[in-house]
Amino acid sequence: MTVRTRTRTRRRDRGVRFLVPAFVILAVTSIYPTLYSFFMSFFDWNWGQRFNFVGLQNYVDLVTGQHFRDTLWNTIVFTVSAVSVEFVLGLGLALVMTRLRFGQGLIRTLLLVPLMVSGIIVSVIWKVMLDPSVGIIGYGLHLLGLPRMGFLGDPAMAMGTIVLIDTWWQTAFVFIVLSAGVQALPIEPFEAAEVDGASSWQRFRYLTLPLLKPAILVVLMFRTVDCLKVFAIIYGTTGGGPLTTTESVQIMAYRQAFKTLNMSASMTTMVVFAAFALLVLVLYQRLLPTEEVA
Amino acid sequence: MRRRRWSIGTWVAYAIALVATLISLFPLYWLFVISTKTPREAFETPPQLIYVPDFSKYFEIWGQAGFADAYLNSIQVVALGVALTLLVATPAAYAIIRFRVRGVRYLRFWLLLAYTTPEFLFVIPMYVAYQQLGLYDTVGGLAIIYQVFAIPFAIWLIQSFLGEVPRELGDSARVDGASELQTLLKVYLPLAAPGLAATAILVGINMWNEVTIALSLTFDNARTVQIAVAGYRGYAAIRWQEMAAAAVMAVLPMIIFAGIAQRYIVKGLTFGAVK
Repeated sequence: MTVRTRTRTRRRDRGVRFLVPAFVILAVTSIYPTLYSFFMSFFDWNWGQRFNFVGLQNYVDLVTGQHFRDTLWNTIVFTVSAVSVEFVLGLGLALVMTRLRFGQGLIRTLLLVPLMVSGIIVSVIWKVMLDPSVGIIGYGLHLLGLPRMGFLGDPAMAMGTIVLIDTWWQTAFVFIVLSAGVQALPIEPFEAAEVDGASSWQRFRYLTLPLLKPAILVVLMFRTVDCLKVFAIIYGTTGGGPLTTTESVQIMAYRQAFKTLNMSASMTTMVVFAAFALLVLVLYQRLLPTEEVA
Repeated sequence: MRRRRWSIGTWVAYAIALVATLISLFPLYWLFVISTKTPREAFETPPQLIYVPDFSKYFEIWGQAGFADAYLNSIQVVALGVALTLLVATPAAYAIIRFRVRGVRYLRFWLLLAYTTPEFLFVIPMYVAYQQLGLYDTVGGLAIIYQVFAIPFAIWLIQSFLGEVPRELGDSARVDGASELQTLLKVYLPLAAPGLAATAILVGINMWNEVTIALSLTFDNARTVQIAVAGYRGYAAIRWQEMAAAAVMAVLPMIIFAGIAQRYIVKGLTFGAVK
């Protein structure tokens, strides 16, 4: 008994030694800056001599100002739209793929190519294709007898266009993960349901969806937190415009810090926004069975 | 698979798969087309599908100091960053699967949190710190900050690869007198080598494609390839051909690497959460 306990403690110590390097680096790159941002959010600092304690003033300014409300709203609209569209298309594709007799592997490989493209290059591609005067999409619309459209330059269309760009970019993520989930589904319940005369909608609604629930939640969680962070595809296409119609919270924080050098205001924005993102993450974690993630 | 003859459903499925594949690939094909046509050809209507590709823009761009330097910077950041990630994430993943680590749930949540945090929460403070430490606009500084997302991602993946090695192999090495470090290096690593290589590729792709952090923490000296591509967007006139050629050069190696690591991408995309 004693021998066993001793080896167990020793193993535990060894474990800590193996973990230290990774978590020290993570502490320096994630915990330190978070605490620093939190600390600085109580000061007024513009990257110069001005450095005053202002208490909660930055928070009051942020919450009462129109700018943050607009960008937070834009971010939420973007996230909800992009995640919904990507989810429906990705799940649909994953189910459709099961009907293919051959070539599934090849098609899956080809479909994941957009995921390997960076946010900036995605922006470049779509700027070229959507350009109002020379873009191929405008030409395609013209062939269909439709008028040329402004897309990214039109305040009414810009956000929708960015949602579509993100859909092109990230739907494959939903598709690949749910495909893996669909392939792991047990066959028996579906055979039984067919024998019992269940319609294909009933099989989808009462078998596929509940059995896929863990995979669906993982997919929605990763897509949601990723969309909340949206930066590169907006920076690369509209930069937040026209006006502020596509300005996300991260674009706002970037501008506050690097365009107007309002460092403490920028950090306040990010503290509030990161708390919001954390809340969303925790809600998803609550829905997930504990062993799935974390 | 049940019915032997091709039903309408099967045909429809193939039609949908074909359309989805075309939508996925056409924009990249078009990027290539723009980069290899002369300005006049590129935007003529109707577009000519058959033409003699002209690669002169590629050479022209590579000859411009800025782009080649940025490309080499990115290679250095990825090499340095991936080496650091594997060096620290491998033992951590080993500890998580082999020992009873107290509070491992909290460590895992921390990993998820670091991986999903909106970048500017840590980028702005690191900008301040890097200015003082002389790490701003350096390849090393970027390789360090990239660990925020690389370490969680790598620990998650490596853990799933090391977990596939039968536990008894490690235990018998320990009985024979090997230290834990020797067990990791001599027993686990050779068996998990393909998984580690895939991890290196996937982490490398993430670092190569990173935009937000690189934009904020580099200026000129350590400017990465992504920021160089962004630079071609210009203000007055967009230089379409140059921009497209630069983008093709930046994206092509990633597609090739993704092809190599293809088998492991599902695991990589899901943190191993869906088997």
